[in-house]
Amino acid sequence: MNEIVPLLGIETEYGIIREDQEESDPVEESMLLLGRCEAKSSFRTWAYSRERTHLDMRGFQVSRLAQDEEEDEFCEQDRQRPYSYWEMKSDRVLTNGARFYNDHTHPEYSTPECRTVFDLVAHDLAGEHIVGECVRLRNQDLGGDALQLFKNNTDYSGHSYGTHDNYLIPRQLEFDTWVRHLVPFLVTRQLYAGSGKVGAERKNDDGFTGLQLSQRADFIDSVLSIETMTQRPIINTRDEPHATQNYRRLHLILGDANMSPYATALKVGATRLVLTLIGAGKLDTLFELEDPVADVQRVSRDITGKVALRLKSGKTATPLEIQEWYLEQALRHTGLSGDIEEWNWVTREWDRTLNDHRNHPENLADRIDWAIKQSLFNDFIESEGLDWADPMLQSLDLEYHNLNPERGLYYGLRDEGSVAGLIDPQEVAAAVHRAPQDTRARIRGQAVEQELDRIKNIHWTGIEFDNGEYLDLSGIITKEDVGQALNSNKEQFAWK
Amino acid sequence: MEMNDPIRREEKKESTPDRQDSGPSKPDVNRPGRDGILKRMKKVDPKQSEKYKQRTGQ
Repeated sequence: MNEIVPLLGIETEYGIIREDQEESDPVEESMLLLGRCEAKSSFRTWAYSRERTHLDMRGFQVSRLAQDEEEDEFCEQDRQRPYSYWEMKSDRVLTNGARFYNDHTHPEYSTPECRTVFDLVAHDLAGEHIVGECVRLRNQDLGGDALQLFKNNTDYSGHSYGTHDNYLIPRQLEFDTWVRHLVPFLVTRQLYAGSGKVGAERKNDDGFTGLQLSQRADFIDSVLSIETMTQRPIINTRDEPHATQNYRRLHLILGDANMSPYATALKVGATRLVLTLIGAGKLDTLFELEDPVADVQRVSRDITGKVALRLKSGKTATPLEIQEWYLEQALRHTGLSGDIEEWNWVTREWDRTLNDHRNHPENLADRIDWAIKQSLFNDFIESEGLDWADPMLQSLDLEYHNLNPERGLYYGLRDEGSVAGLIDPQEVAAAVHRAPQDTRARIRGQAVEQELDRIKNIHWTGIEFDNGEYLDLSGIITKEDVGQALNSNKEQFAWK
Repeated sequence: MEMNDPIRREEKKESTPDRQDSGPSKPDVNRPGRDGILKRMKKVDPKQSEKYKQRTGQ
């Protein structure tokens, strides 16, 4: 069956710190971390010449991407360092087809392209494993556990780093159509996709204390923008499909890093379903929020899901009502596209989660990150006689995301069986080394596995070998394309 | 769509979070073992988030 959203991927930037130093140097630490990666990989061969980050979906090109003054100063200092751009980036492409590198001083793991949500979650977890193993080896070198990495999105002082979910969608449909139907969904999906954050970091803040749904909501400033480091948007407009011009890559940068694999699956699964409905022309009516950017923060700060959001019509709707409407549309069109097992899982769990949110929110504490935190921290508050404004709560919030298996609070809950598992650990272990077999990542991974010394440069869209031969992956989208590419180019794939 | 009348649906039968109905069951969240995690939480440096400084990413 033809998939409207054939490929999925997640990019995760990790926070990094040396606890034995007064001022940790993230450039040095991130380079040293990547240097400690023992996974077989193509190192410093990423084809930056194939990147097109300045093209906008709205039909224009920007001359530069913006960052704030503080980051401008840091970058100026970085230019004085005795390292080349390539050394600082330390790109690695792994045998599982993933990319692991440094992006703006944060170690970043970009999953290989996946066809199913469950494969994607397995590869997101494989990323945690790969990054965590580098941390372990680096700490072994340091003789302690001074280096700590966090799968989160904020330092609680106004600096955010991203977790981006990506969806390949057909270019044929106008970009504006995707936007109009998607915005109300994205503004409200934090009901289950939010990782939770203690406190607030919004400029000119209103003194909010306590738990909000999302880590990232405070950093969303526009509906549409090509920027990713300032004026972050609900929908990023970078036009870089990493595929043929028949497609767009929807690059969503408003999401949180989920520790719960269930939350990752529901976030990506529900988004894919909504995109499928839009692509198939099944959403003929829609909510039009009067102020979607303000609503991102409004939704995040009301964990009940029942805050009234103003519509352009002058009426109101709650986040729960909006999500229930999208779910209702998905239920009406079951089997519209793709994997029926996945479709059924997503609609069933989406329904159960919204239902619990409305009627029994305490039930979410086994699978939705913000709710897990709420339950866990409430127990701690009760045990220690604290309140939600105590600074300790932000430290607990941070520690929830720690990749250290001995310290991370989510990992502690996972190990004692208090939170929902979704992916068999054996599948995660396999994903550390093995690409999804039904996407072009398989070909990229095999090239790294079997032809490592011959790779001159490598990218999502292709591989150049040292003899000048170029393997174009940009048109390999479907499972059939993968099989056909392997079969019809046997000479080229002699290393298969 | 405007929501004058919130969608009303019957409460659905509870399903498991696992991928297949026959898979492992929903975890027991009666929290008999919260002592372990509370112990872990007590070890957290109260100033950890204050010390945690990052550069802006994407």
